[in-house]
Amino acid sequence: MASKTATTAQMLQRISDEGQKLPQAERRNFLKNGLLLAGSAMTGGAISGKVNAAEENLPPNVPAWTRSLGQGVLTNPYGKPSRFEGNIQRRAVPWLTADRFASISFTPLAELDGIITPSSLVFERYHSGIPDIDPDDHRLMIHGMVDRPVILTIDDLRRFPSTSMIRFLECPANGGMEWRAAQMDALQFTHGMLSCCEWTGVLLSTILQEVGLQKDAAWVLAEGADGSHMSRSIPLDKAMDDALVVYAQNGEPLRPEQGYPIRLFNPGWEGNTSVKWLRRLEVGDKAWYQREETSKYTDLLADGRARKFSYVQECNSVVTFPCPEKPLQDKGRYEVAGLAWSGTGKIKRVDVSFDGGVNWRPARLKGLVLPKALTRFGLDWDWDGSPAMIQSRAVDETGYVQPTFTQLRAARGMSSIYHRNAIHTWRLHADGTVTNVQIS
Amino acid sequence: MYRLARLSLVLAAFSLSACAADAAGKNDSAGEITITEFNAPVAQPSGYFGYGQDASVEEIAGWDIDIRPDGMGLPPGGATAEDGEMLYEDQCALCHGSFGEGVGRYPVLAGGEGTLSEDRPEKTIGSYWPYASTVWDYIHRAMPFMQPESLSDQEVYALTAYVLYLNDLVEYDFKLTQDNLALIEMPNKDGFFLDDRPDTSNEACMSNCKDPASIRITSAPPATEEVDSDVVEASGAEAASGQSTYEQACALCHASGVGDAPIPGDASTWAARIDAGREALIANALAGKGQMPPKGGQIQLSDEDVIAAVDYMLEVTAN
Repeated sequence: MASKTATTAQMLQRISDEGQKLPQAERRNFLKNGLLLAGSAMTGGAISGKVNAAEENLPPNVPAWTRSLGQGVLTNPYGKPSRFEGNIQRRAVPWLTADRFASISFTPLAELDGIITPSSLVFERYHSGIPDIDPDDHRLMIHGMVDRPVILTIDDLRRFPSTSMIRFLECPANGGMEWRAAQMDALQFTHGMLSCCEWTGVLLSTILQEVGLQKDAAWVLAEGADGSHMSRSIPLDKAMDDALVVYAQNGEPLRPEQGYPIRLFNPGWEGNTSVKWLRRLEVGDKAWYQREETSKYTDLLADGRARKFSYVQECNSVVTFPCPEKPLQDKGRYEVAGLAWSGTGKIKRVDVSFDGGVNWRPARLKGLVLPKALTRFGLDWDWDGSPAMIQSRAVDETGYVQPTFTQLRAARGMSSIYHRNAIHTWRLHADGTVTNVQIS
Repeated sequence: MYRLARLSLVLAAFSLSACAADAAGKNDSAGEITITEFNAPVAQPSGYFGYGQDASVEEIAGWDIDIRPDGMGLPPGGATAEDGEMLYEDQCALCHGSFGEGVGRYPVLAGGEGTLSEDRPEKTIGSYWPYASTVWDYIHRAMPFMQPESLSDQEVYALTAYVLYLNDLVEYDFKLTQDNLALIEMPNKDGFFLDDRPDTSNEACMSNCKDPASIRITSAPPATEEVDSDVVEASGAEAASGQSTYEQACALCHASGVGDAPIPGDASTWAARIDAGREALIANALAGKGQMPPKGGQIQLSDEDVIAAVDYMLEVTAN
């Protein structure tokens, strides 16, 4: 196990470090020329996980941990994962951003099961680092076109009727490095700006109803207490529909990385609108056109025009097993697994292709199928050892079918950065390794 | 109006084992258990809960920093690009370059006009931003990167004027004020349109959907040589706390040398500082000096962490 873990970690580290060795000018060309990667390093220990077991722990022998006392209660009062899971980490691509304060890290999707992302592993996105906020000193101000401008404490917020919902959270730049060409040979880096948690808080509609909206109210500006004072204009329709002022995530208080003590959460919408460390909500009659909804988070098309207020994360899916981090070990029977999600509702179906999209087979939807939530799918498959092109294609309850890359590029060109939800292709090689490709 | 959300879903709790491998969509047909996912609280009239305290005019004024394209929110004041030139050099050029050309991967502020439909569009304030109000708002809200909200309103007017001047949008001596900022026409003001997606329409074809002979790999990350695992493991194990603090808190400036920050390993810029002695360097790192805020702006760091980072930089430089 140790050697398998080290090998995968090395591969990911190498992918994320590769660009750092390059001179500044060449880093930019990375996006065009693609990234060197250590796919071949996956052979050997990574593929044969069984070679690492120690004989003295296997039957008929009885391992030491079965013949001794383990650690007592309160060894880790807030808990932590097994020391054998050190490979499960958020990782960054250092050359992607100028520094670590306005930057991003990725969720290790290949290592996760089910639909809930552990709070510790939800991808990070900061524009000015993580503020260290004392909840006793934090306030939420609500003002503008309201009858009663108000300042709420965290205790005030917790007195309102609460609501919990399981919903995905995705950065609209997820997969954005792949618009021009396939360049990241790891699921963590092609799709890892993605997570799904149970979020608990107060519906924004409850709060706005409480303070009283004035006649021409049409927009809400949400603003964070971090150094960037992150700010987005939210249409009132969304604010009154399912937007949530969140204080808990997966049953525990929000993590600092996720906006402690409170954040906004807009289900199904691009993550940037779910403003973290929320300090202020201003109601107005027009949009504010903040930097993060003009310069950034607008989708530039080939003709030079740009789509604005493109909030929804459209239907998307990806195969999480096999993938570059999780190659196949031998010929035989497998359950191919994956995730599907849609910002407009529930996943209706997912199909999987092993021949690059010529023929498709329906997959099973597994466990909870919730609106605007990650949805697990699986499919039994007998691998005969031949190379394959594995794809998944999701359909949501509106009937929208996840597009091919060719279709998406035809509609938007190559410079959109955001909202890349195209069908993804993993190339399975005869030795069981998996690499990232784009195909015609 | 308040919408009562009462969403229900069908949970196929026990049906999976009964499903054949290809039975997608049958989850709804066997072993149905209908559960209620969430109930929105019943809508209540304004003031029903009565929580919190009224926000005073003064309290709101301290936090209400947003500026709209129509100029709403701008404080009184005015300044010219000339007023902003030195300030820009001091506060902005470190990252954005003297001409707004951008240093490293920090944002380019000027140029790029007419490139939006080209293969490599350059989205700058001049070429892309639709409203000048956003420039004032963002400088005031989020800049300088390490000390946001440290600029006076007059300084924000001056810097906004200077950045617009770098984009040839105002003259050097044009006085930008709360009355004329909203009147400035940005070149790309009509370049945006409202979300009209979905803009693709794929079909869920199931068989013989395309000619297998037409499939080509159009791109793939190039493969690389085998990783030398000994080297990788060794370098990972060497990571010391001083190094990690350096990377987390100091490298922002010290790795690139912005703001005259000495770069570890660059003996020439360190010589005079090393002469001053380790104690003096530690004192500066803790208290701040020149462009460097106390503890590099990372106030949550312990003194020990900062000292370890100083020692790490000295060690790298000595070697």
